[in-house]
Amino acid sequence: MSDIKACVSLYSLQDEYLNKRMSLSDIMHFVKEQGAEGVEILPDQMIKGSPYASDEEIANWNKLVEETSLTPVIADVFLNTNLYKNRTLTKKECIELLTAEIIQAHKMGIHLIRLVSMVPYWVLEPLMPVCEKYDVALAIEVHAAMAFDVQATKEFLDEVKRLDSKYAGIVIDTGIFCRRFPRVVRAYETNNGTSPQVFDYIDTLFEKGTDLHAVLLENHFQYPPELEAACQTEHDKMFVPLCDGYENLPFEVLDEYMPYIYHFHFKLFEMTEEGPEYSMDYKALLQYLHEHDYHGYVSTEYEGNRFTLPGTPMQEKKQVAMQQAYIQKCLKEIYG
Amino acid sequence: MFDNNVFIADSCKNVEENGNVIGYEMKTNITYYRGIPLSMVEYVKVAADGEEVPAEDIRISLDQEDWFTLKEAETVTTYKWEYGEPLYVRVLKEGGLSKGTHKVKLTVATRTAYIPVPLEGIKEREVEIA
Repeated sequence: MSDIKACVSLYSLQDEYLNKRMSLSDIMHFVKEQGAEGVEILPDQMIKGSPYASDEEIANWNKLVEETSLTPVIADVFLNTNLYKNRTLTKKECIELLTAEIIQAHKMGIHLIRLVSMVPYWVLEPLMPVCEKYDVALAIEVHAAMAFDVQATKEFLDEVKRLDSKYAGIVIDTGIFCRRFPRVVRAYETNNGTSPQVFDYIDTLFEKGTDLHAVLLENHFQYPPELEAACQTEHDKMFVPLCDGYENLPFEVLDEYMPYIYHFHFKLFEMTEEGPEYSMDYKALLQYLHEHDYHGYVSTEYEGNRFTLPGTPMQEKKQVAMQQAYIQKCLKEIYG
Repeated sequence: MFDNNVFIADSCKNVEENGNVIGYEMKTNITYYRGIPLSMVEYVKVAADGEEVPAEDIRISLDQEDWFTLKEAETVTTYKWEYGEPLYVRVLKEGGLSKGTHKVKLTVATRTAYIPVPLEGIKEREVEIA
């Protein structure tokens, strides 16, 4: 029997935090009020001094966890391989940085780290003893445009399988399961000068069951004639590659990876008034996860914030609340 | 993508030191969704009334105590620009901006860990110097 639980990534409330409308404490209590069991945090976003945060900073986090009785599920970690302008970090430097992240996660009561896409696979094996010591697992993110067809991701997934350890896993971002191109992205980008014809073309790809990422890949990154025709300006041509972060894959791509999947980002562009998200079918995905015996959290990751039209209010709180209500309703239907 | 983060409103003013106006400065939030060491600032550009400020006249600081040139900042890994905390951008210019209205444009770009191109934010504001 599966065990799927609701979580909120604090990424979803970043604009509230940045503009000081909400403190970390306000945000944690807000998440609790939405009925989520778990919370996900980007230490680099809301824990000052990460990954070397002060004892006081860590104590404050632990106090908020206790106050809200939220489970601190996962820390989203980045590896600054480009810390310097003139060179890439060495392997030793990468291991050292990630060791600090693991120790900090441990202090925060967190047992899982999401490594951002493109982290090199070779960090994994040397870090396994550190993970065991602190009881923190590392999971690579599979994100649209950086998913199963991308070399760095493939290498990492192979390494996860090879090591076959409970300390090495995968996080899936559901932006790989878009069935329609997000209309909030279209609205935002047309407002910024991209021609509607470009998005009309992308929409036709989704209607055919494919997506821009797949089409560009098939064409060895040359633009097919229909896309060339859709581009009205030089700006359009430059902008097209930035529209490939929305993939239209079948859920079955997960089949072979299910034993290693420790967490899901339920990407959110726009909850509509009718209920479901505009681009993704969460209900069908939750059913798939239930049938495949998934044990873990599904975490709200609102990204419509960066596509908010100038002059319109930020909808982070509303969108998070709507998605949580919907997911919890779906889970109730599954579990009764 | 992060244009909304750049150049905090009403933050631009002349800077006085020992009775002399040595330039002007403004505050900006980070053009990213997380904090990063200062060395990961790819570039900062300022233009006042359409005129680009030479890079060597720009200083940046996180605490208003320690100021770095853009070249120096490339190796500054121990000062972290936190998400939600401002970076102070100062332009050294004797006399600062003259009294009245100016158009000041600030561009900030940061390197991310996984996207090959830097994330840039640009904002031009009308600035009133009293």
